[in-house]
Order: sequence, then C-alpha cells, then structure tokens
Amino acid sequence: MLLELGATLRQLLSTAILCCLFATNIVAADPAKTTSEAVEFFEQKVRPVLVEHCTSCHGEKKQQSGLRLDNATDFLKGNDDGPVVVAGDPAKSKLIQSVRREGDNPMPPKKPMPAEAVAVLTEWVKIGAPFPATNTTKITPEAASRSHWAFQPVRDPAIPVTKTSPDFANPIDRFVVAKLQGQGATLAPIAEKRTLIRRAYFDLIGMPPTFEDITAFKQDSSPNAFEKVIDNLLTSPQYGERWGRYWLDIARYADTKGYVFQENRDYPFAYTYRDYVIRSFNEDKPYDRFILEQLAADKLPPGDDNRTLAAMGFLTVGRRFSNNIHDIIDDRIDVTTRGFMGLTVQCARCHDHKFDPVPIADYYSLYGIFSNSPEPKELPLIGKVERTKDSIAYEAELAKRQQAVTDFRTKRHAEILVELRTKESIAKYLLAVAQLAGKDRQAVQAALREQLLRPAAFTRWQTYLTETAKKPTSVFDTWFMLSKLPEIEFATAIDKLIGELEDGTETTVHPRIMGALIESNPKSLKELAAVYGSVLANVGEQKQFRNILGAGGPVDVPFAEVDRLFDRADRDKQTALQKKLDAFTASSPFTPPRAMVVNDATNLSDPVIFLRGNPNNPGPQTPRQFLQITTPTRKPVTASSGRLEMAQAIASPENPLTARVMVNRVWMYHFGKPLVITPSDFGLRSEPPSHPELLDWLAKRFVEDGWSVKKLHKRMMLSAAYQQSSQLRPEFAQSDPENRLLSHMNRRRLDFEALRDSMLQVSGKLDRTLYGRSVDLFAKPYSSRRTVYASIDRQNLPATFRSFDFASPDQHTPQRFQTTVPQQSLFMMNSPFVAEQAKAVIARPEVLWSMTASERIKRIYHAILSRSPTPDESKLAVEFLTLAQEPKPSAGQLSPAELFAQVLLISNEFAFVD
Amino acid sequence: MNTLPPVSRREMLTRCGVGMGLLGLTQLLGNSGLLNPIAQAGVDSANPLSPKKPHFNAKVKRVIHLFANGGPSQVDTFDPKPALLKYAGKTLPVGNLKTERRTGAAYPSPFKFAKYGQSGIEVSEIFQQTAKHIDDICVIRSMYADVPNHEPSFLLMNTGESRLVRPSLGSWLTYGLGTENQNLPGYVAMCPGGMPLMESQNWQAGFLPGVFQGTYVDPRNTDIEKLIENIRNKSAPDGMQRKQLDLLAKLNHAHAETRPGDALLEARIQSFELAYRMQTEATDAFDVNREPKAVRESYGPGDQARSLLIARRLVERGVRFVQVSHGPVQPWDSHDDIEVNHRRLAGQVDQGISALITDLKRLGLFESTLIIWGGEFGRTPVVEMPTPGSNAGKINGRDHNHWGFTVWLAGGGVKGGTVVGATDEFGFKAVENRVHVHDLHATILHLLGFDHEKFTYRYAGRDFRLTDVHGRVVKEVLA
Repeated sequence: MLLELGATLRQLLSTAILCCLFATNIVAADPAKTTSEAVEFFEQKVRPVLVEHCTSCHGEKKQQSGLRLDNATDFLKGNDDGPVVVAGDPAKSKLIQSVRREGDNPMPPKKPMPAEAVAVLTEWVKIGAPFPATNTTKITPEAASRSHWAFQPVRDPAIPVTKTSPDFANPIDRFVVAKLQGQGATLAPIAEKRTLIRRAYFDLIGMPPTFEDITAFKQDSSPNAFEKVIDNLLTSPQYGERWGRYWLDIARYADTKGYVFQENRDYPFAYTYRDYVIRSFNEDKPYDRFILEQLAADKLPPGDDNRTLAAMGFLTVGRRFSNNIHDIIDDRIDVTTRGFMGLTVQCARCHDHKFDPVPIADYYSLYGIFSNSPEPKELPLIGKVERTKDSIAYEAELAKRQQAVTDFRTKRHAEILVELRTKESIAKYLLAVAQLAGKDRQAVQAALREQLLRPAAFTRWQTYLTETAKKPTSVFDTWFMLSKLPEIEFATAIDKLIGELEDGTETTVHPRIMGALIESNPKSLKELAAVYGSVLANVGEQKQFRNILGAGGPVDVPFAEVDRLFDRADRDKQTALQKKLDAFTASSPFTPPRAMVVNDATNLSDPVIFLRGNPNNPGPQTPRQFLQITTPTRKPVTASSGRLEMAQAIASPENPLTARVMVNRVWMYHFGKPLVITPSDFGLRSEPPSHPELLDWLAKRFVEDGWSVKKLHKRMMLSAAYQQSSQLRPEFAQSDPENRLLSHMNRRRLDFEALRDSMLQVSGKLDRTLYGRSVDLFAKPYSSRRTVYASIDRQNLPATFRSFDFASPDQHTPQRFQTTVPQQSLFMMNSPFVAEQAKAVIARPEVLWSMTASERIKRIYHAILSRSPTPDESKLAVEFLTLAQEPKPSAGQLSPAELFAQVLLISNEFAFVD
Repeated sequence: MNTLPPVSRREMLTRCGVGMGLLGLTQLLGNSGLLNPIAQAGVDSANPLSPKKPHFNAKVKRVIHLFANGGPSQVDTFDPKPALLKYAGKTLPVGNLKTERRTGAAYPSPFKFAKYGQSGIEVSEIFQQTAKHIDDICVIRSMYADVPNHEPSFLLMNTGESRLVRPSLGSWLTYGLGTENQNLPGYVAMCPGGMPLMESQNWQAGFLPGVFQGTYVDPRNTDIEKLIENIRNKSAPDGMQRKQLDLLAKLNHAHAETRPGDALLEARIQSFELAYRMQTEATDAFDVNREPKAVRESYGPGDQARSLLIARRLVERGVRFVQVSHGPVQPWDSHDDIEVNHRRLAGQVDQGISALITDLKRLGLFESTLIIWGGEFGRTPVVEMPTPGSNAGKINGRDHNHWGFTVWLAGGGVKGGTVVGATDEFGFKAVENRVHVHDLHATILHLLGFDHEKFTYRYAGRDFRLTDVHGRVVKEVLA
C-alpha cells in the first residue's frame, strides 16, 4: 500500500495533476506524524468509527456543543470549550474520556461505543491524532474536471507533422510516428502479406483465412488490396460474432443467475441479448444508439423490430446475489458506469469515492434510477412467433404447468381462509395486534415470523381493529380497554369489570361477550383473546358482530394478497412448482423468445443515501439524476425513472468519457494493448494514455463518423502502425520494453473462442448457423457452433473456460488475463474435441484423396496453417509418419496422419497471430 | 497494486527453465498481450503459479482446510458447557439470542466431555481421537460471524465477504505464494459426493485470474479423468504422445527461432512438457492405493478418510491449499436428532483427522502445514422449536448460531494445547477475546507470512483485501 501510494503520487506529479496532493495533505496535532501510514490508519480505522458513532451529531448537519468531527479544521478547533484532544495523551483528551464514559459527559450518549472502537480512537490519539485534510480541501467535481485529462472535453488536436518524407497519409501514423521519432525510433516495416491477412482475419472475424484466401490476396497487387480484405470481412456475419463476444465480456454475460436458493437458475432468454449484440455489430449500429437501447430500449420510439427490447439484457443478465436487490442494483451501476465510461462509480457505495469526483449522493442518484426500473413479472415476447405443431404442443404443456401453480394457489388460499376463521386463529391475531401496537416495521416482521403469523391476515386485522376503535362498539370496547392496560393492572381491571357486569352497573357490553367473560373469567390478556376467539368464531357472521367472518371482513383476505398469506412451507411448495415451469421454459426448444427488459416503476420514488452502504442506515434523500462530473448540466428527473436521461447523458458527444473509452477498447483489440492501460478505469488513479492526442483525435472522428464502429476498425487497420511487422526490434527494446510507443506490432495469442473456432474452421466442421439458444459446448456429441453460442453457467463455469482465461461472467471484464498453465496444454493434447478435429482434417476430401504422402502433407499444411510446408518441415512430417506406423491405433485412436494433424493444430504457429 | 516482490526477468527465466538470448530479456514482461500491467506486477502471466515469497518468513507453507460445512455445534464438540445441565429443559436465565428460527429451552450436550493431553483441554467423546492431539491444537472458542444463514456464512468463511463476488482464501494464497508443484493444480477443493452449498463460489477466484480458482474434485471418484479434466490421453497409441510432443517441440522451436524474444511463445512450449508430466504425477497423487496398507487403514473407512488421505498426498507434493468439505450441501446442519447426527458426522472424520496429524508428523510436514477445522458458524445451546417447512419438528436439534462457535487450528506457527477466547456460560455467544471471521483470516494470512492489510489486489479502481477493511491478527493463536 505504501509503495503503491508513493508510486501513484510520483506518477501523478509527473503529469502535473496537483489535485491529487490531498493524499499527503495532513493536519496533525504532531506534524512529525504526517506519514501516509497515518493517513491509512485514519481512513481505515478511525474515520469509520467517527462516521458510525459520532458524526450524526457532530458532523455536517449538526454540531452538538459546537463540535464537528468530519474534517480536520473543525476537529482541531474542538468544541465550544476548545480542543477535545491532547495529541499523544489519550488520558487527558476529552474525546477519549467521553468515549470511555469517564466523567460527566459519556459519548455516544445512549449506547457505549464498542471496546474495539474505543481502542482505535485511543491508539489514534496516542500517535498524535493525525487527521488528513481530505474533507475540507476535497477535490470538488469542478476542480477535478479542471485538471484530470479524462474529464476534459474531447479535443480535436492538430495532426502532427513527422520527419518522414513524404509524410504519412493516415493521421494515426503521424501521431504514432511523431512520438516514436521523439525517442529516436521508427515504425517497423509493413508485415508480409500472409501475416497481414491473417492478422486482419483474426481481428475481425476471429478465424484464419484459408490457403486460397491468402493466395488471392498475394496475387492482388492493386493498391487497395488490403482495404478490400477489410471491407469483405466487415460485411461477414462472422464479424458480429467476434466483436459481439468482446462486448459480452463487458456486459458480464451468462445464461444463469448464479446462486438463488430454490428457484430455477436459468436465464432462458439471455441468448436474445447475445443475439441482439451480434446483430448490432453486424448492422454497424451507431454506438450511441447501441448505448441508448441497452439502457432504455423501452423508452425509445418502437420501430418495426421489437427485438431491440432484448438490448436491456445488458442490465439484467448479471448475477442475482441470492436476489438481494441492493447488490443487483450495484452490479447494474457498475456495468453501466465502468462499461460505457470507465468510471468506477461502485467505489462510492459506502462513502464518497476516495479518488474520483463521485460523491456518495451521485451513487444513490443512479441507485434511484435503477430501483425505479424493475423487471416486469412477464417478459415481453419479441420477434415473430411461428405457430407450428411443436409450438402448439409447447403452449399446451406450458399451460398445464402454469395451471398447476394457479391451482395450488387457489387451493391454499381457500384452506388458509378456513384456518383464519377458527377460534385459535382469531385469538392469535387479536393478541398479536394488541401486543405489536406501536412497534416498528422490523420488529413486527420479526414477531410475525417468530409466532408463525401470516402477514396479510395480520395487516387486515390491524386495519379492521383500528377502524373499529374509532366508534363505540359493544363487541370490542372491552377488548380495547383491557388490551391497553399494563400487565399488572389487568387482573384488577377485569375483576372490576366482571363485578360490574354481574351487578348490572355495566350494560354497554354485548351480551355474548358478557356471558363468555363471566363464564371463563380470563386472568390474562391471552385468555381474554381466547374468549373473544371462541365467541367470534361462533357468531361472527351475525350482523351485530359487524360481519367479522363475512365477505370483506378481517379474515376474508382477498386472493390478490395470497403471497403474503403463505408461510415457508407454502412458499417452498409454490417455488417447486414454479421451478418445474421455469425449467420447462428453459429447456424446451420451442419457447418463443422474450426480452429481458426493465420498465419504469408505476410508483416512482426518490432514493435515500444508505450511510456506509447499509440499507438499514438511511440518510438524506437524493434526486434521480446523472453524474455531476460528466454532465454538469444534469437535472433531477421526476416524471420517469431517469433511465432514458441517463442513457442520453452517456451517449452524448459532450460526455468526455464515452467515446474515448470505446475507442480505447477497439484499439486494444487491434493492437494488443490499449492506449489507456486500464480500459475500464479512466479515473484519477489510472495512468494517462500513451498517446493522449491520438485518443482524442480518434474519439472525435468516431463521433463525427456517426459513432460507426466499422469505420473505426478501418481507420485503424489502414494505418501503417497497424500493418507493421511484429518482429521485436532490439534497438528500441531497452528504452520501451513494453512497446507502448509501438515500434512494432504486438504478437498476440488466440483467446479460447478464436482457438476453438479456428480448429472447427480448419477441420471443415464449423457450423455457421447464426443466433439462437445457447448450446452446451462440453457435452457429447460436441457442438460445432461458434464458441460465442456457448451456454455459460456463472455458478459453475466449465473448467475449460477457466483454464483458458475466459471472461469471468461475475463482473464486468475490462480485458482478459493471459496466463499459460498446463491445463491448457492438457486440453490440446487430450481432449476428445481436439482429437475429433484432427480426424476431421484428415477426412477433408482434398486430404483424403491425396495421391502421395508429400501431397498429403502439403494438403494438411494448407488446411491447418494455410501455407505449404518448407522442405525441412516436409522431411520432419515424413519421418513422423514413418515412426508412427507402429504401434497400430486401436479403435477410437488416431491414425498417424491424424496424430500429425493434431500436432499442427496445437502448434504455436496455429495459436499465435504475428 | 500488490506488494509482492516483483519477479525479476532473470528469475522468471530460471523458473520457466527457458534458455533465451539477451534479446529476449528486454521484452519478457512487456510482451504479455492484453494483461493489465497492474496485475502484471503480481501475476507472472507466463507462469502465474510459480512459487513466490510472502511478506515475511513463515513456517507454514501449505494449508488443509477441513470445512465442517453446515455448522457443527460447539457445545457438543470443543466447548463444554456444564451449566446447560442445570437448566436442562428450562429457559435460559439470559434469554435466547435471535437466530434463524424459533428456539426453546436449554439443551445440554448428550455427549460426554473429558480432559485430554497435558493441556487438559476438554473435548467431546465424538472427537476423542482428534483429542489425542489436543496439545498440538489451538481451539478458538470465541469465533463469531455476521448472520445465522448458511449462504452468506459459507461465503464469509471462504471469501471474507457474504454476498459479493470476491476471491476465496485459497485463491488469495495461491495468488500470493504460487504453488510448489507445477504438475498439480495449486488449489484443490474436495467434497465427496457432490458440491457444498454455494458450490464453486466457495473456491472462486473472483476478480483474480481464473488460474487461482480452486480445482473441484469429488474424491468419491476413483477415475482420475473425473478428477482432473483431460488428464488422460485416449487418442494416441502407446508411446505416440511422446513422439507427437517431440515433433511439436521441433516445430515450435523453429517457429520461435524466427520470432526471438517472445516469452509467451517459450512459456507455451514449456507448458506442454509440464502437462505431459502432470499426466503421471496427478494420477499418482490421487491414487491412494499407492499408500502402504497400514497408512490407509490408519485413516479409517469412508469418504472422509479417503479425502483426508488424498489431501495429505497433495500437500506432500507441494499443493498450496486443499479444502476438504464434509459432504454435499451442508451435512453438519443438525436441526433434528443432534445426538445421532453429530455422532455419525464426527465418527466419519475423527479417526481420519487424528491419522492426518500423525501422518504429517511422520513425514515431517506438520510444522510447515496449517490445518484449519470448523464450520461456517456454530449451533444454539438451546433446542430448536418445530417450524413447518424447516425441520422435522422433533425438538432434539439445534438452530444455526453465528453469535459464537469454535474453530481450531493446528500445525506450523500455531500454539498447541491452547484455548483462545470463550463463549458465555451457556455457549451461546462469544464474549471473551472475540474472534470474527475476518480476524481468523488475518491470523491465517499472518501464519503464512502475509500482512493482511498490505496483501492487496487492485481491481475496478480499488485495492481489495481478503479482510476488506477489517481484521486483526489473534496473537494468542501464535506460537
């Protein structure tokens, strides 16, 4: 931590971002203690204690006794009588005396502070009570936006002139070369044609060119030969499959909810979002439109194609955290802000962001947008549903399973109503209403759970009795009077009442109640409730009993409230039935597609800030609005959830982050490294871009081009910087070991999708079907679909995905890790999938029908590596094939040629892109 | 950014065992493709599991976590409470704390406790064999967690966070220390018969690279292929795989020769050789039949014994972290029939634990291994009342209890024969030297040489810790 803080400061200073100095600006009683260790101790230990126990009375809102403990200046001033701390001497410090409850001013007044908290404060005073001055000199959003590059408006920098003659035509090259020349370096020569076309294919469609593709390109000597290749690839539907998958990393896509206790875990319609993404890339949907649809497709004018509703899967395909709504919303805030803007708003869930200008109030402003955007019970159907024999059969089975749920609910409702009319039940609820009067919601809920009472019935009784109590009633007045008495007065009061009833001085009590009271002589409120229970259960239907048992009465809970009538056992049974229904929807191939939307809530409400992120600790209200730092012109939204307004603020050319973040992501996938090394964190702690002007220039052009991603690809790929060779240049390796200045292209290893898809492609087995429900890649017989169609279970991600650094579906993935572990090699060497592809290569007709061994070797090389073997390679191949004649393969094993094909499939040449 | 010592380029070369020209050196760390440079500082992408040093020297090199999933009852195992007898069938004078379900009168342990060892620590009869090693065990009787529900408590115990996605303890440790045997997964999570509740979230890597995730193994499988994916080759005739790999090496070297200085090319070449060796080594490690009969018998019969013996074979071979859960879902969750169920559950594991400790000592590994035993929380000292849909309503079991429970540690750096902390008179709530799960984690990290406040990983703009903003090292545990 220390090292890192130092490094950060150095780095920031070197880029003259002085606003970050707050990290060392410490006010301390003893200046000798102003270390960053002290800051850390304060922020991690002391401030939480002050916030939890002190600042509600000694903070921004209230300053009891003139004391304020949320900033250094006020802390040093102390209270009305002066400083509350003697640095280094806890015993003499008023603050410590108070929290130790020594003397006449114990604090906090009601409840003693936990011993650990007291120990922290004592330790703090002992080391000199250092108080970092963050709160008073804290960077305001305005101050930060003035200084941090990423919050500045995107500029349109002048294109530099390089020392090259004639100068580069592509402005990208001028930006890159100008930097390189500043270091005495140059671009590498343009890569040879085979390398170039292979690079373009993997970059745009994630699969290699065939031998014939390469030959044609080599033979095309026209100056725009490479441009034609790019254009061609950009119109291929396989382009959307490649780039759609990149977007799914950002969207933390999965086909399951994660752990959710008893309900079905599938997202049967997640695939409609995946298909939407692929289709959007293929259609070159303007990126701003792509943003609007993913956040608020429901608020846009409906076009002809309601499949765009599926775009909102971006918000809804995340983990469900055992259905904890706060965590679900947190996940949605994170995917939205990091995904589109590279801003880590999630850090402001418990306190103001420690580094970036995102106050906690802004977090809860976004929280309010999402909490007012629930998912509907029934998701909308999308696309055209064709009615076939199968789909009709599907509907019939679905109806049957739905009926089972409905039947259960109806039956239980009726049964519970009978139960509520019994004398035991009536007595129980009467008593509970009396005993829980005036208790808060949480206490009531706990008591209901504890006493096995049904919440809907309780509420109904409560309302009924409150209404009844407003007018005199011969039935209940006795109950009201006695139930309000303290326990010790009960016996005397009832004796007195019974006496009066017997001697006739009391005559307002209903005869039925009177009779029962005299007969059973109740000794406690509980017994009195039992008396009422017996009477009411017997005669409750009579008119003078105000129709207690009749329609509309307290025990006549309407069906609409049946969920609140259910106890745990009921709920479990219902969940089991619902699970059967959901499992059917998830597994049937005939389930018509639906969109995983959210909609604006019908009853809108403004959010409150949860202090320290704790929902049980509500603070002040905050309006629904977007972030101050990116959108100074923001306005609170009251007429809707604010989702559309949020989407518009993100998709705006004025937003300083959106275009830059996307341009940086696209650059990363083309060049192997992003310009901003942390693609989802453009905040104050990120490193500045390697080429700030280039980033801005590209962002400007991107917006100018109507946010066209395809044009962006082309712009980048037509640059000499992109087309240069990937051979390492030792002369520059010392000064720029990470190759951030791009003196050569970065060699890249195929990710799992490209690796698997390429194997299927060269083996000739690739199933090119577009779109559709997700498929299990790891079940036999192995699917030949592209990897993007894999069903992804986020709870138990298949081990192969994990070994190959697949994007974690749990959280937004800015860029994949790239590790080398033996499990990857085991998959290549031993998995039946790879063996199948090796067999399929040899079964390709042109390989199978080769007349000679050398012809065959050549054909295998053509198929797998899209080139002819060198003489040395041919020799090695012949040697291997001879060597492999013995032992003979048994059933299911690979022939010598197949073993050879496998070697090429798992070779480095196959797995890397130069 | 974490504070692990950065891997020097030369060091990395040595570890990879790759000979390369000087040219290669300069580019080694740079050419790691998409890897975030921040992560790069701690994660050596070419060989992420290579052994690393912690912050300071520590005796313990590896961990076996015996996860008694479901929540064993402290008052029936390691925390005797004779006062319960006095109140048997009566309400506790102090009242019941709120747990998940309704609870009733005091319910004394049906088991006998006796003093063991020189330390004279009392242990229940159901753990009498484990108790023979009590002088090597440090019993923390004052554990507490946050809530009385399994799901969040499983995650808290295993990842330090109840709900959100965070790396597990084993992932942190393999990230921080790598592993000592590259032919085996560095982190193995075993559970016989199926996964525990929360499934792979218990051994998730969270935001750390996927290689640090635990490899799940069902030790009930005797077929190695079901234990480790793709471990066995079925497609090549005898001896042919070696010939394939020889050819592959030739082709790959020729390819690399024209592309000098690329560490990732070299790393991938090496990884095939590693994988080749792994096929034999992993098969060996999981094959308990290679143990002498006497050793096998010492662990006793059953799934648990088998798991523990495999665990020993794994740590012996340098695996960094092994978790052994008791069984699928939450077997220790005795809401009813605690006498029958706890006796059965302890019976399945008691002999094995005792044999494991003996065995580690025999092999000289005890002092460098940390054994952790415990559940995600404990159980109430009072009886659980019937609740429709929850239990069988027999009124002879106990509810979940996060207020107080027991975890014990044994092995290197641990002060054996000690009791740390205490629960109240009835064993309901930890009252003395209370140890939160975060404190346990801080202590475990300390035992392995890490300062839990400095062991961080930057993700999404924050430096994350296993202990978040909490945790203290429990000094009384340390030898």
